[in-house]
Amino acid sequence: MELMNFLIYLVTMMSIYGILALGLNFHYGHAGLVNFGHVAFFCVGAYASTLVTMAGAPFLVGVLAALISGALLGFLISLPTSKLSVHYWAICTLGAGEIIRLIALNEEWLTQGAFGIPGISQPLKSIVPAVIYPVFYLILVFIFLGIVYLLTELLVRSPFGRVLKAIREEDNLPLAMGKNVFRFRIKALSIGAAFAGLAGGLYAHYITYISPLDFMPIVTFLVWAMVIIGGKGNNLGSLVGAMVIVIFYNSTRFLKDYIPISADTLASLRMVVIGILMILVLLFMNQGLVREKKRVYRIPGEKPDAGS
Amino acid sequence: MPVTQIVVNSVIRGSELALLAIGVTMIFNILKFANFAHGEFALLGAYFALFFSVTLGLNLYLAALIGIVLTGLVGVCTNEFIFKRLRGMGGLTLMIAAMGLSIALRNGVRTVWGADPKRYQIGLGKCFSFWGARVTSTQLLIMVISGLSMLAFHLLLHRTKFGKAMRATSDNIPLALASGINVEKVIVGVWFICGSLAAIGGILIGMDTLLWPEMGFGILLPVFCAAILGGIGNPYGAVLGAMVLGFVEHFGLFVNWTNVISLGGIFNIQREIYIPTGYKYAISFGVLIAVLIFRPSGILKGQKGD
Repeated sequence: MELMNFLIYLVTMMSIYGILALGLNFHYGHAGLVNFGHVAFFCVGAYASTLVTMAGAPFLVGVLAALISGALLGFLISLPTSKLSVHYWAICTLGAGEIIRLIALNEEWLTQGAFGIPGISQPLKSIVPAVIYPVFYLILVFIFLGIVYLLTELLVRSPFGRVLKAIREEDNLPLAMGKNVFRFRIKALSIGAAFAGLAGGLYAHYITYISPLDFMPIVTFLVWAMVIIGGKGNNLGSLVGAMVIVIFYNSTRFLKDYIPISADTLASLRMVVIGILMILVLLFMNQGLVREKKRVYRIPGEKPDAGS
Repeated sequence: MPVTQIVVNSVIRGSELALLAIGVTMIFNILKFANFAHGEFALLGAYFALFFSVTLGLNLYLAALIGIVLTGLVGVCTNEFIFKRLRGMGGLTLMIAAMGLSIALRNGVRTVWGADPKRYQIGLGKCFSFWGARVTSTQLLIMVISGLSMLAFHLLLHRTKFGKAMRATSDNIPLALASGINVEKVIVGVWFICGSLAAIGGILIGMDTLLWPEMGFGILLPVFCAAILGGIGNPYGAVLGAMVLGFVEHFGLFVNWTNVISLGGIFNIQREIYIPTGYKYAISFGVLIAVLIFRPSGILKGQKGD
């Protein structure tokens, strides 16, 4: 039974991180935006949903608030930075991620600071029997994951998604075709950020306790590892990456019974492994576990090229 | 707190930041990517020095020297095994690899030395006071070492053949190649120098305060900010940017903002407004955003941000 509960926890976390990874993959994989502050959107979503439901709103309104607040923050961050080169953009998002955590830590009137907010309400807690509640919540998260997945797939295949891919490769072609590159970037960041916000809301109502410690930069790194190892530019890849990383990240829980080193050292060691894994994938398997499906458009009658 | 004390604190902060900012700006200019692992070089240098001085019992200066050289070598190795191989794939991939490297190095340090703060075995030293400011001999030493390191870097750039090659490569790689400069060799040299400078910075921070695994990551944003503020690609600008940022950080917390917020008394605000110390980190972020919006080429002319 305990193992069963742990497995359910694992799959729930995979799905929540899967939504986060889909958001980041939308940024990096599809639009070429290097966002090192993904945790900021996650954090804002979690606090927004928590505060709204604590004020008496139902779960779905809370989740909606998480979605909107994530998108809003994405919009705010991309507004002054959309015209910058990717490097400056990356530095700015890294800073923004830290600032949001500092706000959560320091503005005690709103977030209760370092103590965190306990006792976050869960949807339909009184109706669903406690024994099957984790399964119920898992199904709920699955539904959201499914919606986000379908939405990203649709977006990527839409004309909007094609423009994003063109921007990802370089700016000049879409500019020449009269596309407002900056506006597309702002939209892309806001959409991915909205997904991350949603993930934050789902996380808060699942764990039922949030504090600034849940939103350390390490969350951003984990999601990056998922996208890179799973395969950038492929939504399925992000989900595979989320599965791999969440399983590996939680496996140390069992390893500590077999390996005679302290839990703290083991926790650091697993991040070393994830960092090295990321570099190895970049070096030797640049496409990740699941390759991006690239459509090749040919003039009818022309011979197909070798490769791509 | 007397103003002179804040000036002293600002200069110390600036001289620590400057040593890292020089490296960030050089690597950005020559290799065209933001090195997110640069803070980790400072971390490694500081912990290497700790290992040789406290664990092996060497003299701190000797230990620091070994740590500096070792960190330079780590820089060269990262170039050889990671960044050189990824160079063809563009700046984005390099940047992400640097982020991966930064996680691996930071947690590597944490694995070996643990998460608890450590300190070098230096006494408190003498305390000098002038014009109301207090400076310990350690703090004086920090400023002197930092100044000497920058002077050495300046002499290297302008008085040696290698420095000339470095400036040429930094200016224009194809032209440098055409004039027979071995750019690969220069890049290796740049990694060694930047790694060593960052290590010196890390050791100085360790002497000033404490050593802990997050110290490199914590200083990363201010360092980037200093480099961009001074104009990316310009090492002198980086030093200037670091100093300016040091002053802005300390005076930003010290100044009563009531007059500014009320626009010189137009709005009637009764209470005094200070930036809470918890937001010290946010100051460099604010400066960064302001620079990127209003003057992306920095104070001294560097590359533009767009």
